[in-house]
Amino acid sequence: MKEIINEKVSVVTVYNRMKGLVIPCKIKWQNRIYRIKKIGFHHTIREGRKLCHIFSVTDGNLDFRLKFDSETLHWTLEEVSDGLAD
Amino acid sequence: MDLPINHNTPTVMHIDLNSCFATCEQQAFPHFRGKPLVVAAYGTPAGCVLSPSIEAKKLGIKVGMRVREARLLYRDIIVRTPDPPKYRAVHQQFVKIFRDYSPDVSPKSIDEAVIDFSQMPAVSEQGLINIGREIKQRMRQEIGEWISCNIGISTNRFLAKLAASLHKPDGLDVINYQNLENVYHQVTLLDFCGINIHFQARLNAGGIFTPTEMFQAPLQTLRYQVFKSIIGYYWYLRIRGWEIDEVNFGRKSYGQSYALPKPTADTRELASLLMKLGEKMGRRLRRAGFSALGIHVGCLYSDGTFWHQARKFPTEMYTTQEIFVKTMLIFNSQPVRKKVTHLSVSCYDLKSGAEKQLSLLETDVTHKRKLSDALDQINDRYGEYVITPAIMMGMRDVVIDRISYGGVRDLEDIYAQC
Repeated sequence: MKEIINEKVSVVTVYNRMKGLVIPCKIKWQNRIYRIKKIGFHHTIREGRKLCHIFSVTDGNLDFRLKFDSETLHWTLEEVSDGLAD
Repeated sequence: MDLPINHNTPTVMHIDLNSCFATCEQQAFPHFRGKPLVVAAYGTPAGCVLSPSIEAKKLGIKVGMRVREARLLYRDIIVRTPDPPKYRAVHQQFVKIFRDYSPDVSPKSIDEAVIDFSQMPAVSEQGLINIGREIKQRMRQEIGEWISCNIGISTNRFLAKLAASLHKPDGLDVINYQNLENVYHQVTLLDFCGINIHFQARLNAGGIFTPTEMFQAPLQTLRYQVFKSIIGYYWYLRIRGWEIDEVNFGRKSYGQSYALPKPTADTRELASLLMKLGEKMGRRLRRAGFSALGIHVGCLYSDGTFWHQARKFPTEMYTTQEIFVKTMLIFNSQPVRKKVTHLSVSCYDLKSGAEKQLSLLETDVTHKRKLSDALDQINDRYGEYVITPAIMMGMRDVVIDRISYGGVRDLEDIYAQC
């Protein structure tokens, strides 16, 4: 079941200079910490000239869709899904 | 004398992503992997299935079904709505991989592309098979481990596409002069890309019921008896492995359409929708540097009837306002007002910016067009629909972004926005 959240969240990221990758590692949402185990897909979208990075990630139990706004540097949790039908 | 089969080395590779939209969702969200999932135009029971996952296809769920029909086949089916930016990102990534192998890459739709190696004579048939395997591996490494594709290799685009459809999913097949007739024994006429039930009926009427019979049919039968046009000759060449589909059709029109969730005859509501369709179409038209002389409006009514009209005007349309005024002029000429379920607008007879007659004097029209360009620039800078006509207020989530399936022309827009 998916749920649209659209809430700002705290995110710990790691930058890997060898691979040139930024990886979200932990999300703090509603006082709970979720450790990211895997990045499913990363892509970018443009809202006008503003570039946003979309990370689809999972902690093993839930899948999260995170948006990073490269202008304001804010992280938004857009969607959470447990992989089951609605 | 009969034309022989093309004995040249295969140089055309057709690559087709498996269940593109659904696979992209499964790639992004690992919990969806291995489960029956559909990407549907809307999540509502009447939403049309655009892309079933490989697991859903095994249950008999097909493109074009309604969500409610899919649920009848599998109650716990996962339904997702389209995420066009994600699919465009996957498209751009796979085209980037293909361009590492040949400069001649032709994207055919959001989920398929053709790589032509004919200008690279050093590449052998075995070399192409190795390239195909490497492409599959790179797609898994660079795009995502759940992404798989079918690859077909042959002497022309038609046979390469047929080869790609032989062993779904994740197949890699070659059709050459040695196995061509054997392949025709395994498939049906409807497996041929370009043969629909109407063409099949024509072929049946001409005494042709299988691909093998079509292959063995003389040119005269196909040209003068079955297709009764040059199309018969094209098919005669195509099924023998000769290339005739390497054609780039220029842009002739821009169009937008919308299936209304609730049929309505309310003129005000329909006018708002027509304005939004016109704005989306106008943005694409102006981005490509065109203006248009003709407008076509189509309405599908709730009783199943269809009305459409096209008209050319002496003056060019460029701004959304100009498009809207002409659209309404045509729309208001409907003979009967009925509940509309599907609206479409398109503009044709395109004129490029270079063909425009320059005016010595700054006219009102020139001012309006400059204003339109300025509004486009604001929307480009701050995001779509930051400034919109008042009639479009409250319509941000109506007529949302979509990818036309199977269309190659909209790919221009993808590359234009990069």
